[in-house]
Amino acid sequence: MSRRSALASLGAAGLLLLSGCGGAPTSGPAPGSDQPTAAEAVYAEVGALIGTARHDRLVELAAQEGNTLSLYTSLNADIADIVVPRFEQATGVNVEVYRADSETVLQRTLQEASAGFAGADVVETNATQMAIIASQGLTGDYEGEQRNKVNEQFRYDGWTPTRFNIFAPAWNKNLVNADLVPKTWEDLADPRYDGILSLEVSDYDWYMTLYGYFEKQGMAGADIDKLFADMVQGSKVAKGHSGQVELLSAGEFGVVAASYTYLTEKARASGAPVDDQPFVEPVVARANGGGLLRSSKHPATAMLFMDWMLADGQQIVLDNGLTPAVMPDGSDPLAGLQVLPVDVQQLIEEGNDWSARYDEVVRGGEQLPEK
Amino acid sequence: MATLAAPRVLARARERLLRPRTLVAAATIAIVGYLALIPLVYLLWTTFSDAGGFSLGGFARAYGDARIGELIGNSLWFAAGSALLSLAVGTALAYFNVRTDVPFKALFFAASIIPLIIPGILYTISWIFLASPTIGLLNNLIEPIVGPGTFDVFTVWGMIWVEGLHLSPIAFLFMVAAFGSTDPSLEESSLMSGATRLQTFRRVTLPLVRPALLSAALIMLVRSLESFEVPALLGLQNGIYVFTSRIYQVLRSFPVDFAGAGALAVGLLALAALGVWLSNVLSRGHGGGTITGKGFRPRPIDLGRWKPVVGGGILLYFFVTVLAPLLVLLYTALLPYYRPPSAEAFASMNLDNFVAVFNLPSVPTALKNSLLLGGGAATIVMALMAVAAWVVVRSGIPGRQILDHIAFSPLVIPGLVLGVGIAFVYLRSPLPIYGTLLILLIAYCTRYLPYGMRYAVSGMQTISTELEESAQVSGAGWGATFRRVLLPLIAPALLAGWVYIFVVSFRELSSSILLYTPGNEVLSISIWELYANARFGELSALGVIMVLILAVLVAVAYKVGARVGLKS
Repeated sequence: MSRRSALASLGAAGLLLLSGCGGAPTSGPAPGSDQPTAAEAVYAEVGALIGTARHDRLVELAAQEGNTLSLYTSLNADIADIVVPRFEQATGVNVEVYRADSETVLQRTLQEASAGFAGADVVETNATQMAIIASQGLTGDYEGEQRNKVNEQFRYDGWTPTRFNIFAPAWNKNLVNADLVPKTWEDLADPRYDGILSLEVSDYDWYMTLYGYFEKQGMAGADIDKLFADMVQGSKVAKGHSGQVELLSAGEFGVVAASYTYLTEKARASGAPVDDQPFVEPVVARANGGGLLRSSKHPATAMLFMDWMLADGQQIVLDNGLTPAVMPDGSDPLAGLQVLPVDVQQLIEEGNDWSARYDEVVRGGEQLPEK
Repeated sequence: MATLAAPRVLARARERLLRPRTLVAAATIAIVGYLALIPLVYLLWTTFSDAGGFSLGGFARAYGDARIGELIGNSLWFAAGSALLSLAVGTALAYFNVRTDVPFKALFFAASIIPLIIPGILYTISWIFLASPTIGLLNNLIEPIVGPGTFDVFTVWGMIWVEGLHLSPIAFLFMVAAFGSTDPSLEESSLMSGATRLQTFRRVTLPLVRPALLSAALIMLVRSLESFEVPALLGLQNGIYVFTSRIYQVLRSFPVDFAGAGALAVGLLALAALGVWLSNVLSRGHGGGTITGKGFRPRPIDLGRWKPVVGGGILLYFFVTVLAPLLVLLYTALLPYYRPPSAEAFASMNLDNFVAVFNLPSVPTALKNSLLLGGGAATIVMALMAVAAWVVVRSGIPGRQILDHIAFSPLVIPGLVLGVGIAFVYLRSPLPIYGTLLILLIAYCTRYLPYGMRYAVSGMQTISTELEESAQVSGAGWGATFRRVLLPLIAPALLAGWVYIFVVSFRELSSSILLYTPGNEVLSISIWELYANARFGELSALGVIMVLILAVLVAVAYKVGARVGLKS
């Protein structure tokens, strides 16, 4: 056999071998079997307990599991680097942290699940990715007092919020006078923001949520489209929220339409002339949360972590400028604010359509006014 | 008779198969094939199948978009422009550096490496701070003379400028190796026969380095087609969308449209295959080698009265591509947050960001792992490619060009798809590779095969066969010929490839972030984390530190490399 045909047949053999395994590897992992796993038995048993009895039982079981935990998270490094050591200190558990952006956390979790590899005990990431993981049947039920303290409209099946991302307009105080500070979302369509407003290219969840809000207000579709078109008119499109805030601080942008409030706060704390107070309401809120995996090898330790994260962990979240899911005193952090939750189910079902639509909308922003 | 002849034929075949050169070649083909085929097969499989079996749905989704023509148009314009700019700049710099008595030669070293080291995100943001019509420092500088907003980095020309300058070190590395191994006596003869310098450059010098020129052009064209940071940060602001924005978009949907992303990558693959084929065909016409048996010593050309002009040009280039972005980085690193220079800004300067970087818990481990992986991947790839280049250029083995194409394919496979492909295989492999540093090494070796291949092939193509033949006539075996004749002659190209892989592997993110495990962090992940947390001050500080560390290491590599190279 010549080298050419040898190589060709090698490639063909590889393809055949792989395609012999079934459909495309990325057509989604086989959903977990319906049989309850050993981990789920633990979740059910301890889920019914409360108070000290629950804590003591978890500590006892965690010790049997070897006091180790594997956590996959998209929590920022500077916060994860505080949260994890505090948890380790409080419980004596040794935590292995895998940190990446939410899309990568999702990919890794799905890939490992499809290969039957038990990588993570707890996955903690953005709403969309958590909802996908839960919808694939990879997470077990997590019940308990702490979960019951979370704002009811965010208590999802298969995962529980640990913190919120809040979208609100942010502005550069040197470039935006008091009379130009936006009061409502509709304000952003004002031509006075032409040339200084910045939109982010992948904020379709924000767009979808706001669109639904305007519809509920009784606006016609054409009017809503015009509103967004006016917003985009003369705007500068950016990629990435963190870069956007950096350029807002530097004065490249005057107003960012939908900034993450914790990024704005961080820039403000470093002395940058940026602000988002008072919030333009209703604020758009998207949950980030955690789920206990059905394949977990350390289910009690996983549960111990979620319990701790929703109690003591929330104070750390709050201290670092993020919005906790439960205030340390047990109250609702979103109380007193008009909140538009991002509809996670809608995102999964219609996300691609909204993404394509938003893409069309922001393309209207390509023409900057002549200088 | 036939019964007697058969064993003899078999014995001869066995002897030929067991020859060291055949064994080494076979082993190399096997390893390269294994590394490159895993992601390629995975890519093709996901592209051409869905849950139900064979499907072309990915192509319909990827190319069915009404704007795809515009995207491809923008991409090609941007890629061709950047490739041309970097090629022109890189070739000119390399020529002046190797062939003339231009002053400030020490600056070349910095100019050739530093833009490579600065992470793409930082390099691009530095340019926003320099040349944005609103806040650009260069614009502020010349505003009193020519009015506001002279430079606008948010245009295709701005994108070409930034990408071209960021890529020019690749061209420089290619061309330095090539100019270093061509015989200047040919140019001297041309000059003596009455040709002008320009004519000589165009008709003698350039054809001599054609293989390297083509290799560099090919790599840079594909690289710019794939570039992400520059189009994302500079293009979007004015609605300039390119091919990669589409790949990004399909990878972001759920379920992640791997078939759509794969279909786009297959388009690039076809283009790249055409490029490899074209580059080899054109190099073949090159006449087989400029390094011949005759001894030569590159003698620098006296620039005469042009010396100050060229020297000034070099200084300007150094300022624009290296010093200005580096100063912006340093300036940003010293501030609590970026703001245009003012008395207040200078008063607020401190070293907090540098202190913070050193206090990041993952940075020491990440630095160690990145050095290990960068050095490991660069060494493994260049060692493999030295042999693979021989197989492709010299061996005469039928079908050897396929090896070239296969080794080039990882260049066009999106990093995430490459990572997922590798994870897919090693999650199911009985070998305990998943979750170790080894899986990252495999990923890096795969990703940088194409660069190694182009560097090594272009080096091999400049060597005349007569040197090998005379070694063999003198009784040297294949091993000795390879080690003592070929290897020293292609050493400049191998070293250039090594330096390139070593440096850029520090920036590899998309497959690293999917495949690393706690304890195996690499530096690019620390960079990403700082970026994601909007900690630009610390990010810039880390950038400055990386430039210092890598520049020293690369200088050492050149010193060590010079001992085994041609110049010894």
